[in-house]
Amino acid sequence: MLNYQSSIKEEKTYSGLIVKEVVPVMKLNLRGKNREFLSTIGKNINMTLPLEANTSSSSDNYTSMWLSPDEWMIISNYTADKENNNYQIEKLLFSKISKTNLGAVTDVSDQFVMINLKGEKIFDLLSTGCPFNFNEFKKKNGAVTQTLLLQIDVIIHLKEINTVNLFVRRSFSEHLMSWIDDAASRL
Amino acid sequence: MPKNLRVKSSNFIDETTRVSFKFNGKNYHGFKGDTLASALLANGIHLVGRSFKYHRPRGIMTAGSEEPNAIVQVGNDKAITEPNVRATEVEIYNGLEATSQNCWPSVNFDIGGINNLLSPFLPAGFYYKTFMWPASFWEKYEYLIRHSAGLGKSPTKPDTDIYDHKYVHCDVLVIGGGISGIMAAKTAAQNNLKTLLLDEKTEIGGTTIYQNSDNFKIENKVSSEWLTNEISSLKKLDNLEIKTRTSVAAYHGYNFLLARENLTDHLSASEKKNKVRQRLLKIRAMKVIVATGSLERPLIFNNNDRPGIMLSSAVKKYVDYYGVICGEKNVFFTNNDSAYESAISLSKKGIKVNAIVDIREKSESLIIKEAENLDIKIYWSHTVVDTHGYKKLKQISIMKLSEDAQSVIGSRINVDCDCLGVAGGWTPAVHLFTQSGGKLKFRDVDQVFVPNKYPSKQISIGSCDGDFELDKIIKNSSSSLKDFLEIDKTDYENLSVVNSKEANKKNIWLLPSDKVIGKTKPFVDYQNDATAKDIKLALREGFRSIEHVKRYTTTGMGTDQGKLGNMHALGIIADTTGVKMGELGTTTFRPPYTPLTFGTIVGRNVGEYFDIFRRTPMNDWHIENKAKFENVGQWKRAWYYPQNNESMHEAVQRESLAARASAGILDASTLGKIDIQGSDTSEFLNRVYTNAWSKLEIGKCRYGLMLNEDGMVYDDGVTTRISENHYIMTTTTGGAANVMGKLEDYLQTEWPELDVYLTSVTDHFATASVCGSNSKKILNKLIPDLNLSDENFPHMSFKEAQIGKIKCRVMRISFTGELSYEINVQANYGKSLWEQCMEAGKEFNITPYGTETMHLLRAEKGFIIVGQDTDGTMTPIDLQMDWIVSKKKYDFIGKRSLYRSDTMREDRKHLVGLATDDPKEVLEEGAQIVSELNQSPVQMLGHVTSSYFSPNLNKSIALAVVRGGKSMLGKKLFIPMESRTINVTVTDSVFLDKENERLNA
Amino acid sequence: MFIINCPFCGERDQSEFKAGGEAHIERPKQPTELNDEEWAEYLFMRKNIKGIQFERWNHAHGCRKWFNMLRDTSNDEIKLIYKMGEKSPIE
Repeated sequence: MLNYQSSIKEEKTYSGLIVKEVVPVMKLNLRGKNREFLSTIGKNINMTLPLEANTSSSSDNYTSMWLSPDEWMIISNYTADKENNNYQIEKLLFSKISKTNLGAVTDVSDQFVMINLKGEKIFDLLSTGCPFNFNEFKKKNGAVTQTLLLQIDVIIHLKEINTVNLFVRRSFSEHLMSWIDDAASRL
Repeated sequence: MPKNLRVKSSNFIDETTRVSFKFNGKNYHGFKGDTLASALLANGIHLVGRSFKYHRPRGIMTAGSEEPNAIVQVGNDKAITEPNVRATEVEIYNGLEATSQNCWPSVNFDIGGINNLLSPFLPAGFYYKTFMWPASFWEKYEYLIRHSAGLGKSPTKPDTDIYDHKYVHCDVLVIGGGISGIMAAKTAAQNNLKTLLLDEKTEIGGTTIYQNSDNFKIENKVSSEWLTNEISSLKKLDNLEIKTRTSVAAYHGYNFLLARENLTDHLSASEKKNKVRQRLLKIRAMKVIVATGSLERPLIFNNNDRPGIMLSSAVKKYVDYYGVICGEKNVFFTNNDSAYESAISLSKKGIKVNAIVDIREKSESLIIKEAENLDIKIYWSHTVVDTHGYKKLKQISIMKLSEDAQSVIGSRINVDCDCLGVAGGWTPAVHLFTQSGGKLKFRDVDQVFVPNKYPSKQISIGSCDGDFELDKIIKNSSSSLKDFLEIDKTDYENLSVVNSKEANKKNIWLLPSDKVIGKTKPFVDYQNDATAKDIKLALREGFRSIEHVKRYTTTGMGTDQGKLGNMHALGIIADTTGVKMGELGTTTFRPPYTPLTFGTIVGRNVGEYFDIFRRTPMNDWHIENKAKFENVGQWKRAWYYPQNNESMHEAVQRESLAARASAGILDASTLGKIDIQGSDTSEFLNRVYTNAWSKLEIGKCRYGLMLNEDGMVYDDGVTTRISENHYIMTTTTGGAANVMGKLEDYLQTEWPELDVYLTSVTDHFATASVCGSNSKKILNKLIPDLNLSDENFPHMSFKEAQIGKIKCRVMRISFTGELSYEINVQANYGKSLWEQCMEAGKEFNITPYGTETMHLLRAEKGFIIVGQDTDGTMTPIDLQMDWIVSKKKYDFIGKRSLYRSDTMREDRKHLVGLATDDPKEVLEEGAQIVSELNQSPVQMLGHVTSSYFSPNLNKSIALAVVRGGKSMLGKKLFIPMESRTINVTVTDSVFLDKENERLNA
Repeated sequence: MFIINCPFCGERDQSEFKAGGEAHIERPKQPTELNDEEWAEYLFMRKNIKGIQFERWNHAHGCRKWFNMLRDTSNDEIKLIYKMGEKSPIE
């Protein structure tokens, strides 16, 4: 038996902001270009992948985020079992997509740490270290962007107004959280 | 006790709140709202500093950020004291301590003042000319010069203040909160544009906010009253943000601007505690409206630098805004109407104005008439030829100008005067406009450079665009705003405006004196003590380019960057050389507009945030077990694990022995891992690695070497075929991001026809590498279901497995030469995996080892580390790794370069082993290698790239790159060190287990 | 700091991008057929124009896609951005 240990241990509360890691969340990276790829994904997860840049789509079980014209990340909307990381949906999609050379399916569940930010000060925090223009972004439910925060690559997903999921590569997460803690203390 | 120099009339000073502060150790008081300058003037203090070169007494000249003289040291705390602060910008607070700079022992008695007497011997370029010889003495001269010339004291302890950065995006940025800036901000915000208004002062309103004269009216209201109403309606707009005390430092291309927001410098120590001191705003604006106003020009005449000589506009601001009188016997010296406004302001408050000296023959306007009605004596066609008073102005001498204004005639008239307000016209503040790449044009009529061509979506409005009169400012700003913001109308189109109109203009850059120029001191750059005669000397000596004259005379090179005097320097050059000013151009305006503290530039990127670091999932275990860490790229990697006060050497020797004797474990999570899928993956790997990949069986691993197109080794690692079209590639720790980028580049741009997808999974997996003769037993305990027999799971192969219900990938690969397994699990199980390996290995004395031991173990086997044994100039052939370069493959990245004449030279540097004559001697990495000791010059053959003491071989080992090394096996070479020479012999680069028997131990 | 209009993601800050040197230099299909000079021409020779230059850029911290840019190096004005594989609009 292997024990599960997430990167960020505690939930933090600041003025106008709550920060916590959501675990375990299954995350899959999907790559593909043609129509058959899109329809196969659609059929198997019962959701169409967003084709418009910087947007996302969701179903009951999954949220999929546009990352590039041939790349998406889908995440489970519910947390998974800590004692089993054999995800049925990964197996299914791998056999329907990767095995048939329609594209690529890669498990990136722990490649990214998903940090949930809630509160009206989210964008004050982000603009301390991020050159992205959030003026329109923050009004648009489901908006997605890949950018740099503190010169670290991040994916930012506006789940709903004043709720953001921030995805950062796991190895950077401790540093980024320490920075968030510092910056948020001055909001 | 000085007389009361306050007049009760200011709306901007809170006279009910007394503020006490210290200047040069003495206690003073001012009121809330005062700057250090206004408070000092109210206390009768003009002398605040000494000049840079001649140490002449200097006073407060201006009331703004352009101040050249009144620069002070604020604070005496060793951590937060700040030099070169303009007294005109420092807002006083209780407990403020400021001191004069550039004077010793005190501002009133300054030994350096002797330089003033020596000044005939200190012309432009004096230091260059005098101290150039002998060249080796320069360092000593420099020490003395710096000591006597220092501008302020640097803090000697780390800054304890907090600084921050913030990115800001807006539709419209308005720079400057004077009347035109306020019009712009209101118009933009009213039209649904997200607007940001910045002003460097404490409050917006510019000069109009204290313009209480009936000669300047808007809609039948005194202009200050009209503007006050505008400001209050402006502040109600909700898509407008106003930031005061915020100075724009830089205006870059694409409307990217940097501004410093000063948050606590005006607060007392207790109020500013734990607050951010300054914030650097990184602003992106769709449109920028520059409304930075204009700076009043001084006049250049003999001894124009004495304390008490100030800009006329500053005299007006001190009395109208701060309620402070700068002198009791006031005289103005002018070439335009502005001085009359100041004179009237004083007069109306009952303060004596002795005279106005005007170089014009005569002029008429509303305000001149008013001055005449107030019985102020006006000397038309006169100029100041000299001033008197050492530490404070006492008297001026004036004379009549000749008809051509080139000389003076008649005799001197002496006028008593303790404050001389000079008004030399106005210079549009085009600094930011030109920083952004804007081009200027010269306007002859009033001798100003004004914006001509905008490089981005921006406009300049108001006096920075060359509009100096109220009616023009309003009319032109309004119509510019309409065009620029693409709107139908503004609130300002048909305003009735009354203002005084200037009838005549006259400008003389260098005013004549009754003395020859050599005997005068007409200062052009006050801070750097550059005079008009220095400029003329530079021209006589052959300097022509304004950039050269600037550097030779240091004109405009002080902390104020010559905001006051640069135009005069240009004018004097133009007049002397006969070149038109428009053709001469200006010197380059460089950021920052006003000095920035290092703290602001750095922001929070200090201490633990200085650089980004990455941690592995096992990091907590390493910390709990007292590992020492080393930086590898951005990673913090466990370096070695000292036990019981072991030194690094002792720990590494112990770890190295244990890893071979029984079992060792390494955290290899930092290796780059790329998931590769797609039907053309084999072909892709064939093209990017030097060896062949088509025949790699499913479940097998292979080592690959990747070259740059120039044939040089770029990266290496093991790639595993997981299934038909699914591979996992590992890269070096430091090279991961670059390899990923390079492979994507080829896929997208050179080989878009290949069906290959790359996904980084470096962070998804945690990797524990278990090695040593007992590693198989440990693995068997950990994953009993896995058949570890050599037949089922041989060296260089791969298996998928489960630990409980957690899937993992196991590769039998080795970087130590020992039997070895790499176990990869999802990162969040990594620490647990490591702990279970430790538990299972306990009976075999499993020893965690860090990067240092890993380096040693691989060096024993002669395995290279890309980046340590290679440096971007080594081909695989140079590394004696010919075996990995496929001869059969038609092409791969870098193949063609291996057949260039240069890469085929026999005398390239080759990787070899070195054995020291004394087996205990450990070479220094980087040490140079020679074959002849008595040669001159010595020919370097190469250098040591890796060197260790091998506990397993009980002798030192080293890898080195040596010119022609391949053919030197057995040859004696020398390594000359500082105090001795080490003898070495060239050997094979594999020191241990050449037959690879240990892999299957 | 430019604003670069990524053909896939839209306008972004320059810090999200990496420059990749001169554009439209195709890797020779048959490098082994080239003599040293021809290969050196491909490998080492790059224009460095003051004025309008064709460049490759990568949205490294965004969609990771490469694209081409026409930039005036004298004033950093970006004249045109077009996708990889599209023909250069000006020869």
